[in-house]
Amino acid sequence: MIALDRTAPPKPGVIRHYDFPPVERRALSNGLDLRVARLGRLPVASVRLFMRAGEAALRPERAGLAVLTADALDGGTKRRSGTALAEALESIGARLDASTGWEGTSVDLYCLADRLPEAMHLLAELVCEPSFPEEEVERARGQHLAGLRQRVMDPGTLASDVALTRYYAASVPYARPLDGSVETASRLGRDDLAGYADANLRPAGGGLIAVGDLDSREVAALAEQCLGGWTGRPALAEDFAARADAETCRVVVVDRPGSVQSEVRVGHVGVARSTPDYFALSVVNLVLGGMFTSRLNLNLREQHGFTYGVRSGFSFRGQPGPFEVSTAVGNEQTAPAVREILAELSLMAEKGPTEEEVSAARDFAAGIFGIQLETSSQIGSRLTHLVVYGLPDGYYHRYRDDVRAVTVDAAVESARRHIRPGQAQIVVVGDASQVAGPLEALGVGPVEVRAVQPNG
Amino acid sequence: MSRLHVPFERHRLANGLKVVLSPDRTVPIVAVNLWYGVGSRNEPTGKTGFAHLFEHMMFQGSAHVPKNKHFELIERVGGTLNATTWFDRTNYFDTVPSHHLELALWLESDRMGWMLPAMDQAKLDNQRDVVKNEKRQRYDNQPYGDWDERLQAMMYPPEHPYHHTVIGSMEDLEAATLQDVERFFTTFYVPNNAVLTVAGDFDRDQALALIGRYFGEIQSGGALPPIPGTIDLPAKLGATVRDHVVADVPLPRVIMAFRTPPFSADDFATAEVARALLGMGRASRLYRALVRERRVAKSVVTYIYPLLTGGSTLLTWATGYPGADLDALEQALSEEIEGLADADQAEVDRAIALAETDLVSSLERVATRADLLSMFELYFDDPGRVNSELDRLRAVTVDQVRAFARERMGADNRAVLTYEPRAEVAS
Repeated sequence: MIALDRTAPPKPGVIRHYDFPPVERRALSNGLDLRVARLGRLPVASVRLFMRAGEAALRPERAGLAVLTADALDGGTKRRSGTALAEALESIGARLDASTGWEGTSVDLYCLADRLPEAMHLLAELVCEPSFPEEEVERARGQHLAGLRQRVMDPGTLASDVALTRYYAASVPYARPLDGSVETASRLGRDDLAGYADANLRPAGGGLIAVGDLDSREVAALAEQCLGGWTGRPALAEDFAARADAETCRVVVVDRPGSVQSEVRVGHVGVARSTPDYFALSVVNLVLGGMFTSRLNLNLREQHGFTYGVRSGFSFRGQPGPFEVSTAVGNEQTAPAVREILAELSLMAEKGPTEEEVSAARDFAAGIFGIQLETSSQIGSRLTHLVVYGLPDGYYHRYRDDVRAVTVDAAVESARRHIRPGQAQIVVVGDASQVAGPLEALGVGPVEVRAVQPNG
Repeated sequence: MSRLHVPFERHRLANGLKVVLSPDRTVPIVAVNLWYGVGSRNEPTGKTGFAHLFEHMMFQGSAHVPKNKHFELIERVGGTLNATTWFDRTNYFDTVPSHHLELALWLESDRMGWMLPAMDQAKLDNQRDVVKNEKRQRYDNQPYGDWDERLQAMMYPPEHPYHHTVIGSMEDLEAATLQDVERFFTTFYVPNNAVLTVAGDFDRDQALALIGRYFGEIQSGGALPPIPGTIDLPAKLGATVRDHVVADVPLPRVIMAFRTPPFSADDFATAEVARALLGMGRASRLYRALVRERRVAKSVVTYIYPLLTGGSTLLTWATGYPGADLDALEQALSEEIEGLADADQAEVDRAIALAETDLVSSLERVATRADLLSMFELYFDDPGRVNSELDRLRAVTVDQVRAFARERMGADNRAVLTYEPRAEVAS
């Protein structure tokens, strides 16, 4: 046997390609877009019902209503109490959870595949016949308001919430946290929730995604049986432009005396999910701050030891979501970290990534695709995106080819177009007496110091 | 009967490295997972936090792998990697497209065998700064961030290895030297103190040959030193131990914890089922009573630590609404816990049904399969526990749960930690 040469990485073996599972698609009679992916590894079923009832369609004074409605949905149905519903689900080992995002409300169900018929009936009962008992609405509102209080006292969450108000003009829904504010949520009562649900938790334009050890015809028959009598289209729709709050760099320090660290956010309005630059920009972001070996992380963490970690990301939504760099750094390292972040943004915006970086990021994105689509829930979540953002059916089957097709020129061009350090808004939550002076000395823009507001 | 069966086979190299193989060729992904039998329990006084700092140093390169190259090579092929340090162990894991199995084995074997030549002071200083920022971010700058430090100090006496936290103290981190790195490596990072599991898409014979090739020539280490301090614990705390904190926290919180038998004990399963009845799912006792019916808690959390050394901890907490009276909240929590002495069979059945779903769900990922197999091999010499866990829970009777509540969750076995929001200054 030849002695082992450890000096170079071993060559890869024979490649076995990841195949996105085949998806069967059909329209239910009520307009729901049904997609079923068969995954026979384990006897499980992951089902997601997506309805186009999201926070982005709500007027500012109603902010938080869709989230609160989803939170109170499991409070009871016309047939049974919230506890009885939970008992019925849990006795068959089913987990059911409703949640709301900008674009819509989802009800997620996970159970062993042979329990799906019973579980689907319970899901349908929850969605089609919610009763919103007064005390359950109070419970959900109390939790919601207490949760908003927690957001303000958690430095990282506070920084993210304040940053949104600096990126977006006040009238834009994305300027507020999904949950709304204490002011808006306090006013919401049982009739608001019941009225919202009746008008907006409707099937048309939504999707039913089922992944697991399932037969698509059986799922279709079950869905028709459970949800076929449920009809209509959500009443509200998004209608806004994602305008920026400012065109030049500004710094705000939210004073949190005694902080041993600063939470830092640097960002601006980004791009919508529908951008033709999606793949190129995803590659650019991987290079900038989307991997462990990104420029930002190697600089701030591995070279300077400023932080435990730093990331950047584009939040691709129906309208342009934020582009943001986020990190937490020591007090003395706050201004130097902001300086380094802005320098990395400028370098990326001016010159873009190198050939080698683009190549590495493409390989990462293509390789990790299969690892991120290992479980039924992960596949279900991605399939839901096809419905939410109106992407073509073959999107994920072509994904790796599309990401591998990103050229250096396209990456450089998309970096130049979408990363705009001159418009970056800088938010620091930390001890102003220690960090405001050095931030002022950076000279990147006006520095405002403010106290923590009850609403962030 | 359980509906799942995770296949596996066990091997042992001449240097003592234990190997578990678990093939599943349905998805072209493979997980490489290593558990080392060292954690914060092995840290003597003055060296708290070192096991975790050392884990960071394991990513700083080895004889044939420059700094950052481990991350770079794994990310280049679209893989993921990380590591965690805990009380009884430290684990390292890479998940890669299956044709890159050999790359992951090369990287993991290089740092198991040849880490020290790559160590220097600059790397230690850099990672010390990173870890100090990790401590600030996850603990010092967080509301309630000191809860586990306070709770551990109440649950375990000063001479017990669980008395101190995994993250350790800033002073001890400050004092760590390159010589500590060397000693720790030669003592604990030896093949005879490790388990290597490969799970997912691989050819069994080929994988075994590669493992022998890359790990076989690593020198075996000596016998492991005893765990510092006193391991043995009385079955109960002997009283209700209290700590009250006034701090910048948003909401009042009561944390109530109970000493349980260690993870290795037969009756640990009873404690697991008792915990599930209290806090697993929305039909569970604490959610139903405190959150939904009495509405005295915004949220409840329950957790049981799978700890090996002398005894473990079952934890419950209730977070109250603004202005809530802590005594009343504690009283309500206490009543529901005592009510467990009247548990019924339907609750136990629901807990088992949910536990089955959660276990099957976790096994959808090869990385989790590998992690569980490594844990059961390292802790109990029995990776097959992954297949018998549910049966162990199913064997617990409602009478055992009731007895557990009466005997182990009373006033003579409680630690109560309360957080009171600091009065707000009028603005």
